[in-house]
Amino acid sequence: MAQLEVKHLMKYFKTPVGPLHAVDDVSFSIDSGKTLGVVGESGCGKSTLGRAVLGLNEATGGQILFEGKDITHAKGVLSKEMKRQIQIIFQDPYSSLDARMSVQQLIAEPLTATGICKGKAAVQKRVAELMDTVGLASRYMLSYPHELDGGRRQRIGIARALAVEPKFIVCDEPVSALDVSIQAQILNLMSDLQEERGLTYIFITHNLSVVKHISDDIMVMYCGCLTEKCECDELFRAPLHPYTKGLLSAIPEPSIHVERKRNLLEGEISSPINPAPGCRFSSRCPYAGDICRERFPAPQEACPNHFVACHFVNEINGL
Amino acid sequence: MEILNIKDLKISFNTDTGVVEAVNGISLSVGEGESLGLVGETGAGKTTTALGILRLIQCPPGEFVKGEIFYKGQDILKMKDQELRDMRGAEISMIFQDPMSALNPVMTIGEQISEVILHHQKCTKEEAERQMLAMLEQVRIPAERAGEYPYQFSGGMKQRVIIAIALACHPKLLIADEPTTALDVTIQAQVLEMINALKRTNHTSMLLITHDLGVVAESCEKVAIMYAGEIVESGSVADIFDATAHPYTKGLFNSIPSISKKMDRLKPIEGMMPDPGNLPTGCKFHPRCPFASDLETCAAEEPIAYEVTPGHFVRCHRCRSWVEELKVERGVGV
Repeated sequence: MAQLEVKHLMKYFKTPVGPLHAVDDVSFSIDSGKTLGVVGESGCGKSTLGRAVLGLNEATGGQILFEGKDITHAKGVLSKEMKRQIQIIFQDPYSSLDARMSVQQLIAEPLTATGICKGKAAVQKRVAELMDTVGLASRYMLSYPHELDGGRRQRIGIARALAVEPKFIVCDEPVSALDVSIQAQILNLMSDLQEERGLTYIFITHNLSVVKHISDDIMVMYCGCLTEKCECDELFRAPLHPYTKGLLSAIPEPSIHVERKRNLLEGEISSPINPAPGCRFSSRCPYAGDICRERFPAPQEACPNHFVACHFVNEINGL
Repeated sequence: MEILNIKDLKISFNTDTGVVEAVNGISLSVGEGESLGLVGETGAGKTTTALGILRLIQCPPGEFVKGEIFYKGQDILKMKDQELRDMRGAEISMIFQDPMSALNPVMTIGEQISEVILHHQKCTKEEAERQMLAMLEQVRIPAERAGEYPYQFSGGMKQRVIIAIALACHPKLLIADEPTTALDVTIQAQVLEMINALKRTNHTSMLLITHDLGVVAESCEKVAIMYAGEIVESGSVADIFDATAHPYTKGLFNSIPSISKKMDRLKPIEGMMPDPGNLPTGCKFHPRCPFASDLETCAAEEPIAYEVTPGHFVRCHRCRSWVEELKVERGVGV
């Protein structure tokens, strides 16, 4: 059974000019111990999706099931228990830590807030263990975030998430603010933790090479909608949606031997406020027909376990 | 012919807490119509180098400690203020990293492009406007949007406005400081394509500053890798990508997850970038270098740049023995 199941999730925000469709009818599921990569460009709704799973943004519609329990509108005891099970690592290690708390206080906060550890000595012992787990030297225990670099700050963020022994972590662009050599250290740390503890990750990022490295399955989002979802290698080998094809061909690869067929996407992402009916990608899509501007394409299984939201998926790919 | 030639440039900042050595004796040159990629991580001194070329560093606290920057044979460090003003924008121009903050929010984009043209060319307002509209067309922004303000444009379009400003007077050298870092990949691809096309038609040389080796592979002929204010390795794109020699450059390549190959684990560079206010002795990379323990010289002596193959320079003690072997092979006296 899937550990997390999301069904027809919707999250709209009210704006003075109409509803902003941040996440629109997205369904997916993740098995325990796996990583689902969520990719897309700025404003495609990937962070909102992650926050909705945690209940940080309450969903407008749809259902979120965690281990079979409906947690969509969880309140009180259920919500508290869920927050222990599902944690988040934030994108920006510069603004997600309280500047006035020391490393020790920052990591102790979730322990005391959930009442997992009682007594000063127990908390201190646990903090030291957690710092060791994430590779933070104990001499930083009394340092403040501003004294540390981005990589170490992100390790604090990871320690805070791990403190309550969650089963599931939403990783919202955890390495985007870091330099490549530090990024690689953090990615390795996250893979190791997953292996040791059997964690499940939703890994949200705009960096396609990172997502390929860490994910089992990948979901591509465009303008609040799911456009394609399948197993990681298959997505990179045989993308079926025209947007995914354009996205993959836009990645500059650090090699001079790659002969690339440029498949440049023209135009820019359309506004998610009061979107027109039909496919959100139709304004940039080279294959768009009349039906694309009229009817919203529901994700369909084009090949086994390969879901694509496109009216012309068969025609484009000769399936 | 070389258009830009930097020799042994050293820039430091005198702060309350001590001297920050941002650029430590770098030498590089850019030929006519050539693109050089300057690659490095945060704090390597890339942007300081770029601002130094345009003399945009505030002195004090900044200080050009030594070195020369020749643009077409003229030393920029000896130019007078008026000469500098005439050069900036007309001969050498710059594309800044963050399109959101590089534009003036209270001027229309048309005015901002015309401003450069009016400053550098003795022409009428009408002529400047005509050139401005031609420039907008080149960066594919509809002419009727010339009267709009920066907030009305998306990030990718703002960056195209900045490109239009930078190229309005057909400069000979373009310094692009992380021009696509703030943009999404599909927009990044559009902007890179545009910079490359405009560069070809105008025969402009470019110094492209980036941390993304993929971007370099796409747009540059030569590469220089910067670490702690020094150029640790430089050469042609083929030298750097296929005959990587410096341990830091190798570490950078190993840190990037690959799109085409499946890797179980990344091999990151251990440790952190040194603090430019407190640099290690000897080779600046030795505390993080996997090979440094083999050689006593690494911690004690600063390596010089060895030319391992013609045009491929590597600043690493390990290369000394290679170079000597190579010379023996080629029959050159050591």
